Formats: sequence, structure tokens, C-alpha cells
Amino acid sequence: MEDVHERELVERCRSGDERAFQELVDRHKDLVFALIARTVQDRSRAEDLAQEVFLRVHRGLPYFRGEARLSTWIYRIVANVCLQDHGRTAKTAPLDEERSADALAAADRQFTDLEVRDRLEKAIARLPANYRLLVAAHYLRGVQYEELAEALQLPLGTVKTQLYRAKQQLRRLLETDLR
Amino acid sequence: MFCDEALDAIEAIAADELTPDGRVAAHLASCPNCAAALVSARSLEQMLRRRAVPAAPSQFTSRTMARVRRARWRNDQFLDAGFNVAIGLVVFTVVAGVWLLLNRSGLVAVSNDAVDLMGSGLVTVVRRVTPSLPLYAGATAVLATALGIWWWAERDAAL
Repeated sequence: MEDVHERELVERCRSGDERAFQELVDRHKDLVFALIARTVQDRSRAEDLAQEVFLRVHRGLPYFRGEARLSTWIYRIVANVCLQDHGRTAKTAPLDEERSADALAAADRQFTDLEVRDRLEKAIARLPANYRLLVAAHYLRGVQYEELAEALQLPLGTVKTQLYRAKQQLRRLLETDLR
Repeated sequence: MFCDEALDAIEAIAADELTPDGRVAAHLASCPNCAAALVSARSLEQMLRRRAVPAAPSQFTSRTMARVRRARWRNDQFLDAGFNVAIGLVVFTVVAGVWLLLNRSGLVAVSNDAVDLMGSGLVTVVRRVTPSLPLYAGATAVLATALGIWWWAERDAAL
């Protein structure tokens, strides 16, 4: 039922129905904005990039073949926009690859207050762009591994491995660099 | 069982995507570093799940639609400009073709006579019209004012 409505909506958008495109924006804006805001961590920049995503969706709809779900296709555009934006902005700080057993042991002390949340955001900001996007997307409601893999055009196993590595790096950052 | 092996599975265990089997469970129970890493990974997992979901600004849809319209307008302008250039090129080609045809066929002399005739006719018309120019200008101004008032009234009515 949902798929049928989605196909109808896409068809209406393709025929130039502005209200249909407005409905499409309304339906996907929260997820797109949240995903980008979590990735770039700057609200005004996030809004600009989210609008850019919908501009690309508008331009690309005539070429959307409907082989993937609309949301998956939109995630792919989000990923491209975020990664391109990352290429334009400053490079991420290098990460300490060494594992510290003592630091790992002290982990549970670190998740109790707002300061920790702030550190979490800072740590996420220091992840490589593709890891940041994965972490942002995976913990948004309803975004499954399979959908992420399809959107990023990566094998399912690679998505899982990259997400685990992202979380390992996050723990290291929280326990060492950002202490 | 080595720590590295257990640590590789920590994230999946913390995310409840993997149930530790006997060996891993035994190692986690006996190795304080790996047990602490699991606690840390579980805490991180909870933090990530509780992370605030930023909501789109209230005017997001209208601003996006305005940007889409602007982009479409620019695209249309570009297409219009391209169309006008193409039409110009076609007209130029047709005129050049006609001129070439006339030139080759010896009809240019005839067409020169036609241009002279049209020129003299135009001069006669201008001479006749010139004395009445102020009258025509006045009439045009009155008409333009009337049209302007009508447009202004229509615009206010639309608002």
C-alpha cells in the first residue's frame, strides 16, 4: 500500500505536480535533515545541504527507475552530498590507532552526564566522513543495515564491519583524545 | 581465546547482534579488560541510541520549494536563451541563404530597385506624419496612462 502511494507520488512529481513534490519533501525532510545535521553538526549548513539533497531529488526524479525504494535512493543522494561537502571542508584529525587497555577499562565512567554527550558529539565529528554518516544513519529510526548497504552501494558485511570500526574509534576517542 | 578475538566481537555483542558463545562468554567473565570494553561498548551503544534527533526547521519545506522554483526558473531562462540563440541562427541562415540565392541568380538588381522603392515610400509617409506627431504623442500618453491606472487597479484587486 505504502509502495503504491510512493509510486503514485513519484509519478505525480514527474508530471510536474508541485504539490506532489512538496508532499515528498514533507515526508522525507525530517530523516534527511536529521541525518545531515548529525553528520555535519552545524544546523544552518545542514539545512543548506538538506535543501541541496531535495534539489538533486527534483532534478533526478525523471531518471529514477524505481528499482530501489525512494527513501534508499534519497539516502544515496544524502551520502553523496555529505561526502562531497566533507571533501570541501577541513580534513579530519588523525586518529590514535593504538588500543589502550587501561583506557578501555575506564569506559563506564564516561557516560553519565551532558559533558559526556558533548564529548560524544565531538568524537563523532572527528570520525572519517563515511563512518560519521554510517553512525548517523544507523541510529536513526527505521534505517536498516540492508537499506544502508543499498544506499551506499556497499556489501552488507562491509557496512557492518565499518560500523563496528566506527564505534571502536569512537570509544578510543572518548577514552583517550577527548578525555 | 585471545583478547583481540573477543574485542573484535565486542561491538556486535553490545548491539545485541551477536550472542557470545561459551568460549567468548568465558573469556569475558575472566578477563577484566575485555569485560570493561564490553561495558564501554554497551554504554556507547545506549548513548548513540539516545542521541537527540534534530528536527527540520519549521519553514524548511517552503524554503526548499522556493529554492526548487528558483532553480527551475534559472533552468528555464537558460533554455529560453538557448532557444533564442537557435532561432537567431536559423533566421541568419535563412537570410544568408536567400541573399546568396538572389546574388547567384542575378535577382539582386531587382531587389535593389524594390528596396529603393520602399525607401522612397517610407520617406513620403514620414513627411506626411511629422506635422501630426504631437497629436499622436498626446494620444499615446493618454492611452498609456489609462492602461497604467487599469493595471494598478487590477493589481490591488488581486492582492
